[in-house]
Amino acid sequence: MPSFDKAVVVDDLRKSFGSVEALRGISFEVGRGEVLGLLGPNGAGKTTTVDILSTLATPDSGTAVVAGHNVRTDPGGVRRSIMLTGQQVALDDMLTGRQNLVMFGRLQGLKKGEAKSRAAELLERFDLAGAADRSVKHYSGGMRRRIDIACGLVVRPEVVFLDEPTTGLDPRSRLAIWELVSDFKAEGIATLLTTQYLEEADSLSDRIIVIDQGTIIAEGTADALKERTGGAYCEIVPRDMNDVPAVAAALGALLPAEHRAALTDSSDRVAMPAPDGANTLIAALNLISAADIELQDIALRRPSLDEVFLQLTGQEAAPADVGAVT
Amino acid sequence: MTVSAVPLSVRPAPSTPQQWWTLTTRMILPTLANGELATQIIGSIVFTVGFYLPLKNILGAVQPMSSYAQYLTPLIVLQAIFFAAVSAAFRSAMDALQGINRRFRAMPMARLTPLAARMTASMYRCVIALIVSLVCGHIIGFRFHGGPWHTAGFVVLALLIGAALALMGDLIGAATRNPEATAPLLLVPQVTLGLASVGLQPAERFPHWIQPFVRDQPLSQYLNALRALAGDTTPAAPPVTWAVIGPALAWVGASVVLFTWLHARVARRP
Repeated sequence: MPSFDKAVVVDDLRKSFGSVEALRGISFEVGRGEVLGLLGPNGAGKTTTVDILSTLATPDSGTAVVAGHNVRTDPGGVRRSIMLTGQQVALDDMLTGRQNLVMFGRLQGLKKGEAKSRAAELLERFDLAGAADRSVKHYSGGMRRRIDIACGLVVRPEVVFLDEPTTGLDPRSRLAIWELVSDFKAEGIATLLTTQYLEEADSLSDRIIVIDQGTIIAEGTADALKERTGGAYCEIVPRDMNDVPAVAAALGALLPAEHRAALTDSSDRVAMPAPDGANTLIAALNLISAADIELQDIALRRPSLDEVFLQLTGQEAAPADVGAVT
Repeated sequence: MTVSAVPLSVRPAPSTPQQWWTLTTRMILPTLANGELATQIIGSIVFTVGFYLPLKNILGAVQPMSSYAQYLTPLIVLQAIFFAAVSAAFRSAMDALQGINRRFRAMPMARLTPLAARMTASMYRCVIALIVSLVCGHIIGFRFHGGPWHTAGFVVLALLIGAALALMGDLIGAATRNPEATAPLLLVPQVTLGLASVGLQPAERFPHWIQPFVRDQPLSQYLNALRALAGDTTPAAPPVTWAVIGPALAWVGASVVLFTWLHARVARRP
């Protein structure tokens, strides 16, 4: 077993690019076999954090220890312990899927025979055996992402960085990657998952860190984060979605400004915090029936991570259903 | 979900020579199948035919050496090597664009190994280019007259020039990250330096105002040195002296230093 207790220990990490402070003192820990979701909007500092932890960038100050190796004093040790998949697939397009896997196996020090048999195993495991001997430039987006991740698994990593791994993926490939994360957990491998998708962070992560403008603004389990926004939410669904603006108008001061701003042309419902629980619901119902709007549903429920995110950062998260690209 | 995605075995220790060789072969093997090698061979032949046949009567009469083949072949060699540099630029731009360089940097691998492997693959292309263009030259009548040491000097100098050009191509590819732009970018120096050089005709044949440029630009210095090392049956070939070989070596040395320095700067970009 590896000789470290915490897979990742980050303490007061800071990094600036010119006058832009990308990271303004970030601290967190990831245990072995734990999945940490790093959640935040574009430009929040997620990729900068991953770059520093994978030795692609050096921090201005603060310490980061990955699998027992300090990124500043022992970058070689870090590189021998990690697997990095970036937002962009990084493969040799001139080669087939199998050749890419064998190449990465050889680069990681496997003997020729080992690299070949490991490549065959991974092709089988990632459901790519049929396409093994085709050039990867002819692969679909989902296949490219799967072979990209497979290339990182030719040898055992102790810490895995998945930087927005499912952005733009079809549902099947997304599911395959979600299953993979549970494999990592079972093997005691720590996973740092960055994502803009709350749904993904919610279902995969043991713990979530919400990061915005280079600082951590919330940390905890998905459940704990939901509690933080003050419990109940009231959700109002008009029978005709064209009535959403009318509902918003009727609610008046009951609907907080940031929730009003979050409504779009495609919203089919209005959601808002219900600090007084059932009393808020009754007040809303009275205002709406006074405006003579027909409702399909009105209910109290726990907030979604989207709402938590909205409350914490003052901006909307990326919709979870974009990019069903095949 | 029969097999776990994670291997159980302990990680092996990566070896620099194995990494270098793996990265070199990944660039050489596709050239055999994707037509790059064939293109390079055909290119040298087309270049020889395209310059030698139409120009041998017009320009063959005004150059001082025993035959136009003897005069022209060093230019054919340099142009073939220049094509190898264009391929180097293309591959380097592809790697930079595909993000594979970024991935290599997060792997247990020495910083210079990918560049060393790309340069090795470039030298393989240069060797092919040199052999094919010398065969073409031989067919039209080019011969080495300077003895084995001068012939070896010709080969070594041609490969050094190839290394400097490949390093320049690699740098341009890494800096632009745009494979499509590399060929046009390199075509400009290839054509301007190639035509305004002593490769096709002596400097005196150019308009007076451009003669200093034609005589002193690096390609002409390379051509003079290669002609000296190839020799001739007449005394018209330049002599093998430091005054002739020195400037060529200085240009090669200065280019390698400059391009390596620039490369280190480009590689440090995030």
